[in-house]
Amino acid sequence: MKKTIYLLVISAMIILGGCSTTTKSELYGDMYEKKPVSVLIMPPINNSTKVEAKEYFHSTLNVPLANQGYYVIPPFLSMEILKRESAYNAQRFMDADLTKFQEVFGADVALFTVIHKWAKSSIGSNVKIEIEYILKSTQTNQVLFSRKGEIIYDTSVNTGAGGWVGLIADVAASALNTALTKYISVARSCNDYTFSDLPHGKYSPRFMVDSSDVAGDKEFKQRLN
Amino acid sequence: MKKWILYIGALVILASCSTQKPLYTWDGYEAYSYKYLKDRDKESREQLMESYEKIINEQEGSRDTVPPGIMADYGFLLMQADQQKKGKKMLTKEVKYYPESKVFIDRILKMIEQ
Repeated sequence: MKKTIYLLVISAMIILGGCSTTTKSELYGDMYEKKPVSVLIMPPINNSTKVEAKEYFHSTLNVPLANQGYYVIPPFLSMEILKRESAYNAQRFMDADLTKFQEVFGADVALFTVIHKWAKSSIGSNVKIEIEYILKSTQTNQVLFSRKGEIIYDTSVNTGAGGWVGLIADVAASALNTALTKYISVARSCNDYTFSDLPHGKYSPRFMVDSSDVAGDKEFKQRLN
Repeated sequence: MKKWILYIGALVILASCSTQKPLYTWDGYEAYSYKYLKDRDKESREQLMESYEKIINEQEGSRDTVPPGIMADYGFLLMQADQQKKGKKMLTKEVKYYPESKVFIDRILKMIEQ
């Protein structure tokens, strides 16, 4: 009998511990309703003073989206077509009708990223990033998912998994210098952190079953490394 | 009694520890993708193509299949490297693996034939 009571108390504590928080379906209900499959990555809009920030993000966006279960429209091939159609400036489409993107690319949603800030601190080894991610439906033009983050990334901490040392290990050392690999990791960490709240897509075993998962704030401040 | 608490505690810890295998593995793709995006030269193209080969042939993700977009982008690069036949084959493979790519890839195939 006592055992059962203990069990009950402990499970109640675990359940209560998860309460009073927001779930993914509460924040991103439209994602669960519309169930978008294919994502078109728009070229990032770079309002920061760091020119390369655009490419750091552009080249790291498809991996987390695919790993989260989405069909990502071939990034290089779609970029080529966007360029040919003079549609490479994503800013123009932020508030425009997106139905054309469904017609041409078969995209259900378009991902816009706006890099507001990328600044290296004068002392220490921090990079401060302000970035916004917006996923818009190509059917209704409505925003289905958005998060905005102020992120401080400490480049001096060389943790294994997820850190930049892990990435270097993957890459032939001759191909890249460490500074480059480090900054790619900055972008990668921002993406990973932000998309951890994105409801899983069709190819993930967590598709539609993650609706009661706890979601972080839509606007967040976070230290990463 | 204490045993029970320990047991449950261990279970909770274990449940939160087991890291899930990702759907796909990428073999340092992001760095090569960046380099090609930036440089657009033969060297960076060949490195990215090698990375595609590895993603396709040495895939260790939980889905045990090639990630979306990879075969089509590989096909696109192959064509730029004058390997039209193999490139086209890769584009058709993308549709076979991911039917939702049909609209876009069919359009590309049409453009190539013109």
